[in-house]
Parts: sequence; C-alpha cells; structure tokens
Amino acid sequence: MGRLIATRAGLGLLTLLAVSVLIFVCTQILPGDVASAVLGQQATPDALRVFRAELGLDKPAYLRYFSWLFGVFHGDFGRSLTNQRDILSELGPRFANTLFLAAYAAMIAVPLAVGLGILSAIREGRLTDRIANVLTLVAISVPEVFVGYILIIIFAIDLGWFPSLATVFPGMGLGERLYVATLPALTLTMVVTAHMLRMTRNSVLSIMSTPYIEMAFLKGLSRSRVVSRHALPNAAGPIISVVALNLAYLVVGVVVVENVFVYPGVGQYMVDAVSKRDVPVVQACGLVFAAVFVCLNTFADIMAILVNPRLRRRR
Amino acid sequence: MKRNSTSGLIIDRRELMAGAAAVGLSFGLRPAFADEAPKKGGTLKLGMEGGSASDSLDPRTYADSIPISYGWQIWNGLVEIDANGDAVGELAENFEAKPGATTWIFNIRKGISFTSGKKLDAEDVIYSLNLHRGETKSGAKDLLSNIADIKKLDTHQIEFTLKSGDAGFPTVFADYHILIVPTGFTDFSKPDGTGAYALESFEPGVRVITKNKGNYWKPNRGNFDSVELRYIPDAAARTQALISGQIDAANRLDAKTVSLVMKAPTVDVVRSKGTGNRFAFVAHCDADPYTNNDIRLALKYGIDRQKIVDAVYKGFATIGNDTTVAPSMKYFAKDVPQRPYDPDKAAFHFKKAGMANATMELQVSEGAFSGATDAAVLYQEAMKKAGIDLQVKRVSGDGYWDNVWLKVPFCAVYWGGRPTCDNQLSQTFLSSANWNDTNWKRPEFDKILTAARAELDEAKRTQMYSDAQKMIVDDGGMVCFAIGDYLDGYGKKVKGTAPHPHYDMCDQRIAEKGWFA
Repeated sequence: MGRLIATRAGLGLLTLLAVSVLIFVCTQILPGDVASAVLGQQATPDALRVFRAELGLDKPAYLRYFSWLFGVFHGDFGRSLTNQRDILSELGPRFANTLFLAAYAAMIAVPLAVGLGILSAIREGRLTDRIANVLTLVAISVPEVFVGYILIIIFAIDLGWFPSLATVFPGMGLGERLYVATLPALTLTMVVTAHMLRMTRNSVLSIMSTPYIEMAFLKGLSRSRVVSRHALPNAAGPIISVVALNLAYLVVGVVVVENVFVYPGVGQYMVDAVSKRDVPVVQACGLVFAAVFVCLNTFADIMAILVNPRLRRRR
Repeated sequence: MKRNSTSGLIIDRRELMAGAAAVGLSFGLRPAFADEAPKKGGTLKLGMEGGSASDSLDPRTYADSIPISYGWQIWNGLVEIDANGDAVGELAENFEAKPGATTWIFNIRKGISFTSGKKLDAEDVIYSLNLHRGETKSGAKDLLSNIADIKKLDTHQIEFTLKSGDAGFPTVFADYHILIVPTGFTDFSKPDGTGAYALESFEPGVRVITKNKGNYWKPNRGNFDSVELRYIPDAAARTQALISGQIDAANRLDAKTVSLVMKAPTVDVVRSKGTGNRFAFVAHCDADPYTNNDIRLALKYGIDRQKIVDAVYKGFATIGNDTTVAPSMKYFAKDVPQRPYDPDKAAFHFKKAGMANATMELQVSEGAFSGATDAAVLYQEAMKKAGIDLQVKRVSGDGYWDNVWLKVPFCAVYWGGRPTCDNQLSQTFLSSANWNDTNWKRPEFDKILTAARAELDEAKRTQMYSDAQKMIVDDGGMVCFAIGDYLDGYGKKVKGTAPHPHYDMCDQRIAEKGWFA
C-alpha cells in the first residue's frame, strides 16, 4: 500500500509538471498579452511598450517559464502581472472558499445521490425509481445558471430565507458561511446528483444479475439486505470513481455558479486571469486544480482497492 | 497677479470662471458642491460591474468603472465636471488663460492635506501630472500630449505652456487617470490621497472598503462613514441584490429588465439619457469597397437606427448621427440633419458606386459590446430591403481589441463619452489619432479642429465644430447608430443622486456626493 501511494505521488508530480508546461504554452498561443489585455481600449503602442518592459515580458518564453518554475520550487508563486499582488496570498483564501463550497455541496449531494441510487436499485422499476430518475435528469439538463437564478427567485427574493449574494469574507464565522453559501451549494447539488445517482443505480443493478446474488435471494434474504450487504461492496468501485469525478468537478468546474452568486472562489480568479493573460496566476490556478484532480483520483483508487479484498494483496 | 481675460471679446460664463478676479470670486464652486443639507453616516454598499481580479490601485492602469469609482473616493483631480458638463476647479481653485490660450495659469487650493498629513502644493501636482507624461503606460498620455512645459511659479501656482492653443484645456484634468498624489509617491498599494475616504481593504475582484477620514475639505460632500464597493459582474445578480436591499446602489442595469426594476418599491432608477457609450460600426476608408463614399453613404442610409434602439436597447438609447458626439454635448451640431433610414437612397448610392460585386463583411462580437450581434443582424435585414447584401460574421470576444478592432475593414466598436467635443473628435477622427478606426484622414478636418481649440469666440467655435461634424457625417466611415443611456439603480434611502452628463453613478462620485435619508 505504501509503495502504491509513493508511485502514485511521483506520477502525480510528473502530471503537474506536464500540466504547467501545457498551460504556459496555451496561454502564449492566445492572441494578445497582459499589456494589451489590461490596457484594453487605451493600449497605445507606447503604453504597451512601457508596460511590457516593466514586467520583463520582452524576455523569451522559455526563460520566463523556467524562472517561474524555479520560483515555485522555492514556494514562491510570484506576483500577479496585472496588479503586483502576491499570488499565494490571493489564491490561498480563494482556494479555501472553493473547498468549503465543494465540501458543503458534497455533504448534501453524495449521501443524497448514493442513497437514492441504492433505493432506486432496490425498488427497480417502481415509482421511487422512476421519479428519482426523471427529477435528476431534469436537474442536470437545466443549465446551472438557470438553476441558480430559479433558486434565487424562490428563496432569496420571494421567500427571503437566504441571501442572493453568497460572498464570504475573512472573519466570517462558520455558521454565517454555511448560511450564506446554502443557495450555491444547493445549485451545485442539483447539478451533480444525477450522474452519481444513475451510476450507483446501474452499478448495483449490474451486480444484481450475478449468480451469487441469486443464491442470496434463494436463501430467503430480503431485497434490501441483499443489496446493502452483498451487492454494494462489490458495486463500490465504479461508485467511488464517479463520486471522485464529481467532487473534482465541484472544485474545478463551478465558475458559472461563482459568478452568479458572486462567491469568491478560484474559478472566477482564474477566468479573470486568463482574459487578462496574467500567466503566473493562470499557472498557479492550473497547478492547484491539477493537484486536486490527482489527489482525488489517487484517493479513489486507494478506496477501490481497500473495498475489494481481491486487490488488497499483491501476489 | 490675477488678471482678467483681456481679449476684449464677449465674456461668457466660461470666461468668468476661467479668469477669476482679484476679489476671489469662485463661480465654479457653488453650483458643483451645494446640495440640500445632507446627513452624515452609514455605510454605502455599492454593487458594480466594470472591474476584475486584475485591478490595481495605480491610476495609470485604470480603464473601467470600478477603479474609477474607488479612485475618486481616495484621491481628487485638479478639475471636475459639474452638472452642466463644464469643468470646474477641484484641487485647482481657479484657472485662467492668457490670450491665445497657449499659456494657462492654475492656482492650487491652499490648506488641503493628504491622508498622511502632508499639505497639498504645486510640487505634488506637477509630480502627479508627470506620471502620465513621457515614458508612461498611462491611458491619459495622449490627453496631456499638448503640454509643452509645466512650470512652478509659486508654492500654489503653476503655469502650463501648450504646443497649440486650447480654450478648453482645463477639461483634460477631469480625466479619471489624473489623480493628485504627493510628490515622489510610488507605492500605490498604500494610497495617500486628498479624497474623502481612505483605503481600508483592497481585494480586487471581490470588494474594496474605504473609510471616511473626517473633515473633508469640500462642504456637504463625503457624508458616509464608509463605502463598501462589491464586484458583481453578473447583471441579474446585481439587480437582485439591489432589490433585496443587500446593496444600496448598482450600476449598468440591464435595459431588458430595467422596466421591471422600476416597478420595485424599494428602488429608484436614475436614467442619464444619451450620455453613455456610443455604439458604432466602423469601416476603413482606405479599404475596398469602403474607399468609395457612395458605398459609405449606402451603409449609412441602409441602417434602421430606431429599430435597433427599440429591439436591442429597449428604447434606452438615443439615435446616433454617425459621429461620436452626442446630442447632450456642448457643440453638438444641431443644424446637421439626422440621417434617416432610407432603403431607396441606400440602393441608389450603392448602384452609383458601381461596385455591385463587392463583398461587405461586418465582423461583430459580444466582446465589442453587448448587443452587437443583434444590432448587426438587424442591420443586415435592413440592408436586404435596399437590395444590398451585407454579410455578418460573429467572432470571438477574446482578443477582440487586439485582433479585430483597427485591423479588420468593417467591424463593431463602442466609444465612451468624453467631457468635451474636442476630446471626443480628436481621439477618433484626427489624421494623427492612434485610434482613428475608420482610417479617415482629411487635412481640412484637422485644420478646423486645431483652429477651434484656440478660438475664444463662442459663435465662431460652435460653427467650426458644426462644420467638422458635417464633414464626418457626409464623408466619414463610421455608422454610429445609437448612444446608450446610463441606467443606475439606488435604494430609496440614498439621496443626492441625479443624472450627470459625464459618467454614470453621479459621475462615479456617488460615494462623495450622496447621503442616506
């Protein structure tokens, strides 16, 4: 197990390196640079020249990449090109916010989805199953912006139970954060539940057709016991994978929800940086996201192994 | 020391303000600052669009509404624009021109302190202005390029020598970049200004908090205890926050939903008619087929302006007449008739040009301005009725200002309003202008504009600007079809709000001018 984790960690670091090169190359290919993006309509040739010289953008690309990499190995992510602010101190709180929202949404969505998925599998074909399927499909088909707006209209404007702006500030207590972030968490829940639910249901149902399950039924066990004690442990693999994937999405893919609820997470920060071609910021955010994916995938793999005794021992 | 203007011409209100007599009359002050007695206190929560996580406190980088707003909370400029659109002294107490308008004397107010305690003097002003001159990335560089020399005459008096005469020179200092900092100041992350508020917390992309310093030198201004400016780029989120009372003021309300917002009992909508962005399609006059003026006239006759205003802007815009000068501006050419939508004339000019096989492709993007694609499609429909085939190509918004505007022969653009007709025309239509997006170069036009700057006779000046605009309307390559209204929303308890001829949100000074009931 220890060797496994070590190999995965090593591979993960290589992945991060590859990601950083890819992001750097892609941002260089995009038209324009930080000078023209920040100055916008005010970008005269002179102003551009002075702006670029100030930031050392006249150096060749590979030099800039390696000096950035060197900095990262020393824990210095550098300064934003647009406003000279230290990136780590900007990114830190935002990443914490993103993780908070993702965790909040996950704590609602995962039990809901997996529980409903198992329930649907147990009562396959019956009313619960059909309703759960249809509702979640509708929820996932509607764009998350729209879901967000609907929730705001119902809960923030009409009922007034929650605020429509979910901005969290440093110094806010846990209770207040939970209160303010409820609507975005609900929006995200609606977006990710369907995938996990259906995967859980399908995974469990595919196990249900195996001989040993049939044996369990013949022994006279109830359906719920068969599913929870005998089918679920074997179905856990795909379920864990899909949960990990959706958790990664909750961290990485929620820019739109952040925008609608004005939640200060990493997504909006990265999008702003990309449109201003602020390369150090884009790199830093890219690394953070890649690291999240790598960690979650590793965790999912480890869990899958733990759950399946056949994989635990190496022969 | 202080001399009246001795040109012997008719003295109008502008001359009076410019040449304050030794008696110390300051005509500009009262109208700009006096309000009904405002109450002090409260935290103003602004929710705004027009900034991002890349914003900086350095005025040289300011390009959008949010930095402009916090800039004027923390600092002052030399001059501000009053409710009539005229330049009045802010940190400059008064100013006057010597005959010929190439030499200007500015007197700086005495007894004003920065946050750090340093007293304002001429050295501070000169240093601050030089940040935007010479080798600089500042967007205000072109505005100040007419200054040949700045000389300090006294601790509170400065003499400007211009390269060519400009009767409206003081207005350049109303620009939002040109904020007055102490001499030698370099670290903008710790701002030091003469404005009503001091920076408390700066989180670009999230919010900016400023606190009232107390003892603001302008009477009846700087009435809130603190100001919290929240970045809310999504229009729907901003509107909802305003209606539910989470913020007290919101900018850029969406024209499509503003009629619903007007019905909300907790909200007032302040509409500044025709002072907003100028929306236009610009064609390069040096690229075929737009080299032929008949083609350009066909383009201008073939657009149904009113329909675009109604459909895209829901009526919250004024029809444009193919220049960037708005009807609300001084020196707008009232005698130049508004070009109507006339498909027959468009067809006639198109045929006369004899370029029936010419392909005309208009490139648009939502990155140019919101609604550009819809406007272009309506344009295409209107041109069809004239029998002209106009192709519309939608391109990506990302990198629009790098790759499309100024490069492509026919594309969409928006222009912000400027405080003077001269500014407005110089930046877009002079042969030498960096941003002449129609590549329209006419030496006669350049001559009229330069002469008009130095012309102190009002009647002559008005005629010159009218002639200049007529040249553009008849011969230019810009199809400016609409000038947007600014739509601001305020909670009912915010007082002191009014439309302003310059910028929205009370010239982006609502934090300074407003108060709570």
